[in-house]
Amino acid sequence: MDNRTPRRRSPAEVAIGAALLLMGIGVTIGGRALSGGQNYALIGPDMMPMVVGIGLTILGGTLLWQALTGGYRNAEPDDPGERGDHPFVPSAFLWVLAGMGAQMALMKPGGFVLAAAALFTCVARGFGSQRWLRDMLMGLVIGLGVFLFFVRFLNVSLPAGILQPILGTAGL
Amino acid sequence: MTETFAQLLHGFSLALAPLNLLWGLIGVTLGTAIGVLPGVGPALTVAMLLPLTSKLDATGALIMFAGIYYGAMYGGSTTTILLNTPGESASIATALEGYKMAKNGRAGPALATAAIGSFVAGTIATVLLTLLAPVVVEVAIAFGPAEYFALMLFAFVTVAAVLGSSTSRGLASLFVGLFFGLVGIDAQTGQMRFALGVPEFQDGIDVVVMAVGLFAVGEAFYTAAYQSRLAEHVERIRGSLMMSASDWKRSWPAWLRATAIGFPFGTIPAGGSEVPTFLSYALEKKLTKYPEEFGNGAIEGVAGPEAANNAASAGVMVPLLTLGIPTSATAAILLAAFQNYGLQPGPLLFVTQGDLVWTLIASLYVGNVLLLVLNLPLIGLWVKVLEIPKPQLFGGILIFASLGAYSLHQSITDLAILTGFGLLGFGMRRWGFPTAPAVIGLILGPMAETQLRRALAISQGDASVFFTRPISLGILTFTALLVIVPLVVSALRRRRAAV
Repeated sequence: MDNRTPRRRSPAEVAIGAALLLMGIGVTIGGRALSGGQNYALIGPDMMPMVVGIGLTILGGTLLWQALTGGYRNAEPDDPGERGDHPFVPSAFLWVLAGMGAQMALMKPGGFVLAAAALFTCVARGFGSQRWLRDMLMGLVIGLGVFLFFVRFLNVSLPAGILQPILGTAGL
Repeated sequence: MTETFAQLLHGFSLALAPLNLLWGLIGVTLGTAIGVLPGVGPALTVAMLLPLTSKLDATGALIMFAGIYYGAMYGGSTTTILLNTPGESASIATALEGYKMAKNGRAGPALATAAIGSFVAGTIATVLLTLLAPVVVEVAIAFGPAEYFALMLFAFVTVAAVLGSSTSRGLASLFVGLFFGLVGIDAQTGQMRFALGVPEFQDGIDVVVMAVGLFAVGEAFYTAAYQSRLAEHVERIRGSLMMSASDWKRSWPAWLRATAIGFPFGTIPAGGSEVPTFLSYALEKKLTKYPEEFGNGAIEGVAGPEAANNAASAGVMVPLLTLGIPTSATAAILLAAFQNYGLQPGPLLFVTQGDLVWTLIASLYVGNVLLLVLNLPLIGLWVKVLEIPKPQLFGGILIFASLGAYSLHQSITDLAILTGFGLLGFGMRRWGFPTAPAVIGLILGPMAETQLRRALAISQGDASVFFTRPISLGILTFTALLVIVPLVVSALRRRRAAV
């Protein structure tokens, strides 16, 4: 139990523990508000939320306590090097997030193919690819292939967007 | 017994029909191709390929999924041996020796013992599944809600028990999954719970969106942020794929021992394949005549864990098919696939859809053979797949991940939920929270709640129903022992240490 190496207090670990604790309290209160017990089953829709809420409260409290007393037990090393990783690259993380955002923004107006190409380009960029024009072309080709396959062969409906005039015959 | 055999034969006659065989073949090939991708485990493979079956009938779709399931597992071991990046916890044991073998120029025999071992273990385990399933069904047909609830409680406890070093984080993951399981309309009373007014939340959170978000999008965030600048090196396959006489002699006892370990672990809800692969590795290390090779590429260290992994995966099918209880993340997604077709696995399925169940079991045998026949000759192709550079690889993975989420309701909100689960998955990976318990909690939580409330409704609120029915009492007692015994043992040990 006590053979863990002393480490600096991690703000993230404290925050996660506190967030789970608050979530647990919130779920418990939210569960109480659900009307239950009005039928002969004795337990209604409020029972399970209470159980889950109390469980989360206890676990959040435990993790918060661990975070404040030497860190999570048997935790992942905080230093990326010890995990075999390189230091956090914020731009890489944000490019992936931007890719998901761009896809969401483009899906309805631009259509699936353009949304997929945007996602592909951003994600490739995040992973360190410098040739964005080539990536965009690859994304378009993959998006088009997936679109045609799913719409034509599997009857999955996907938005054609502004490419409707070209893809119009694809079965939409 | 003879009845089982007749049903199985009938299943084979359907599974071997040309069209069904074709679905199996496509499933095995796609499963391997996607499973080979670094960072893509079997659960994610099955989840991402789910939309592909939208046009198939139930039998064809399930046959394809059986193939995908086994193919994904085999693909994962190829990645582990050649790239040393275990995509999932069940492959870590293989990585210990497999990658060393590849570095020593013995990638061929390592891949061969993994493939043949998977075949041997998978086939034996499927035979055991065939024999065991009708027995379980016979017992389970008498089960009422009380027994099901007791079983699910047992499942929660064992899922928590195998979390090992990070019990509190594993439990937190399970409870977060349970919370997400609450979201939506309560089936019994029609009340809305925790939906926050979002229409997409009304039907509950889809297990595919959650699994793909946690596993694919989360992995993309993590890999981009922490691993995208690392140099990568795929080991070349030099020399022959053939195993030497000594390789055979050292492999086959390991395969058999691993099957004996893996299958029982799969059948109990112990979170899938992780524990048996490590047990098998430890056992082989202890029994080997070549201890000096362990850590430097001992073939037993690949043969054992790979066979254990496959045996456990077949074992997982026992509770899934006979009781409808998923005991691994992959099984949770397979259950979702069943439910897409309005099928509820369980003892009744064997009665009402006997043909379908036995065709599925027969196709597990067929899938094993297809894998063995296809994969070693196609190894060159899988290596090509492995060499796709990460920027394009993850771009492609995310296109497919988003497609799966979007095509559920044609809704942008689902993409936002997917991204949200991706961020959650990133955080969980970064701070050491296992993700599989969350997926199991999401699907098992509402099932447990339904059974509990049904049981109490039948007994008119009398909670003693769980203790007066012998099977329910037995399961609950066993569950309690599982919790209490380790606590007592560790308390005794601590006292002894203090003296």
